[in-house]
Amino acid sequence: MKTRYVKRHVRAFWLFVAPCLLLFSTFFLIPLGLSVGFSFTNYDGWKVMNFIGLANYKELFADTKFYQSLGRTFAYTLFSLPFKVIIPLLIASLVTSKRVKIKALARTLTYIPSLLSALVVGITINWMFSAEYGLVNYVIQVLGGTPLQWALNPKLATFVISFASNWASTGFYMVIFIGGLNNIPQEMYEAAAIDGSTTMQTFLRITIPMLAPTTFLVTLLSTVNLLKEYALVQGITQGGPGLNTTFIIQFIFDKGFNQMQYGYASAISLVVMVVFAFIAFVQFKFSNGGDR
Amino acid sequence: MKKVSTILLMVLLLSSMVFAAGTKEAASTGPQVLKVMLSEEPSSEDALLNTMKQWAAETGNILDVMVIPYEDQLTKFPLMARNNDLPDLLTTTRLSRLYPDEFLDMTEYFDMSIFEKMAVEIIVQDYKSSKKPILPQQFTITNVYYNKDAFARAGLTAPTVEKPWTFEELEKNAILLKEKGGVKYGMAMDASRARYDNLMYAHGGSMVEKDGASFNVTINSPQNIATLQKFIDWNNKFMPKAIWAGGTTDNPADYFKNGDVGIYFSGSWNYNSFYNQIKNFKWGVMPSPVGKSASAILGGSGLGVPAKAKNKDVAISFLKWFYTKENFQQYLNRDKGLSSLVGVTYSPSDAQVAEDYKVLQSEVGKVTYAFSVDESSMWRNYYDNEYRDAMKQAVNGDLTAAKALNDFAALLSKKSGWGLKY
Repeated sequence: MKTRYVKRHVRAFWLFVAPCLLLFSTFFLIPLGLSVGFSFTNYDGWKVMNFIGLANYKELFADTKFYQSLGRTFAYTLFSLPFKVIIPLLIASLVTSKRVKIKALARTLTYIPSLLSALVVGITINWMFSAEYGLVNYVIQVLGGTPLQWALNPKLATFVISFASNWASTGFYMVIFIGGLNNIPQEMYEAAAIDGSTTMQTFLRITIPMLAPTTFLVTLLSTVNLLKEYALVQGITQGGPGLNTTFIIQFIFDKGFNQMQYGYASAISLVVMVVFAFIAFVQFKFSNGGDR
Repeated sequence: MKKVSTILLMVLLLSSMVFAAGTKEAASTGPQVLKVMLSEEPSSEDALLNTMKQWAAETGNILDVMVIPYEDQLTKFPLMARNNDLPDLLTTTRLSRLYPDEFLDMTEYFDMSIFEKMAVEIIVQDYKSSKKPILPQQFTITNVYYNKDAFARAGLTAPTVEKPWTFEELEKNAILLKEKGGVKYGMAMDASRARYDNLMYAHGGSMVEKDGASFNVTINSPQNIATLQKFIDWNNKFMPKAIWAGGTTDNPADYFKNGDVGIYFSGSWNYNSFYNQIKNFKWGVMPSPVGKSASAILGGSGLGVPAKAKNKDVAISFLKWFYTKENFQQYLNRDKGLSSLVGVTYSPSDAQVAEDYKVLQSEVGKVTYAFSVDESSMWRNYYDNEYRDAMKQAVNGDLTAAKALNDFAALLSKKSGWGLKY
């Protein structure tokens, strides 16, 4: 009787797991396995595929452009990450505050950019920051200033991508923070008010600590998304000026799909995956997995 | 019972065979679908698409057009081939060179002598076998456009076919145009390797040179380094630097159309759209400047039929129709371009277009031997993007001209197995 019960449980387990396992295998495990296999070949994406051992990895570790693009990716991530977390947190705090009016409209307007595709975001940002016919430079000129070289200055070009990325994701992270804020017990705020806590003290000593799991989630998601930034770069700067905004995913894409070095691109992808996983692991360790 | 079952099964089989034959018969007699892959979004004036529509209207067949840009074709075509979902006909510049085995051999269907020899040589780019996987469709040449109004404001007279400018004159006048012509940039150039390569050839340089049956890499020759340095200086002085340094998705053709550029290095493929779209200033075509020699680069796209296409017969029947003198003439009149078909030429009725067309035709004679050698090496199959990246970094000031070309030469040599001359 017990055996039948266990069997039914096992069957139920697999029935519940099956859809997820199928999707996870199709979109992650099988491509990962293929990628590992390709990384030891000179696969050109179609016809040529010879086993070449560790040649791709040897080439990769001697490739200065790989290190440069990885370095740029880290610099971009470190620069953008604080904005990715702080801006949505502040907006979420504002749109959940009792003192703020038209909250629903503010939330909707903030969330709308999250619904846009990266392509549309790219076009919109180009329209704003184009060096020749951009709105921002036009306004600067109208105000008597000198137009900025958005496309020629590496720092400004990186800023534009970061701005676009933040603009497009703030709404999404705001929603996550709103969820976190709404879960903080009101009694804590009431107790703080009775104790004479100022708004800033309450925010720093109650809201921020109580939001730790949410902040960890937003930080982790933002980090991974920033490290993987591709579509916006392609739509705004195409990796320029020079190679100053060529991040690691664009580097992989270029090797794989433009130069048809699928084997080499697979090797880079695997190394990058390990690096990214390590970063996520460090984040987990430092924040104790988001536990308060 | 067994007999009845056997008889029933036979009847079923026979009826299904008859039904299948009937369906096939019906399919071959009814309107057929021609699935076409174009490489860019066609405008309402697009010559090829309008000619295809004319064919569809005349034959009653159906046109199914999909647009996959050049850069995406490289990834999409192999996927389509693997999934047996290939178009019946496609326009391409590169796929047939990378995957000649995947296309029908057009010599089995066409007498290649009906095409201009140079168009076949340049567009089909068949250097390793006698197979012709595509047929020349749009035959283009690099050329120089100029803003007539800006020239008038700067007190400049455009050069003529008989007396083209030198590069020194070009530089001097581009500066003058920026100062007095009322344009933001004296000169602009498409962010295309081929446009820059004209400078290289005109200054006596080349990408490679013949070494028996093989090649030597010469891209980092002293004259090439000097040419790149000159180009970097031009970008800093009177060109929209962001175009060549990267960092923008802007198209310099738009700058020219907006009247912000005095002299624009592009190609004949832009003529039709300029003709239809530029209304607020006068413009024209001028001969390209001359250095040690003159240089122009021929190019264009071809029409190919994938060997595993479902309706390849329909594609062939379209091509037979398209390459008749009468239909090709109509296409050419719409395209306002160079002809790739012997005995068919574009004769513009508009006097200004006729004048520009003469200049365009004169550019054809400027194609250099060095360009032919470079093309025959098929070096682009190796490191085309790396070359572009080297140029971007040099123009942006991240690398010196010498470092950019030396590094690229070393990469090309390693990848191709060719020796380094410098």
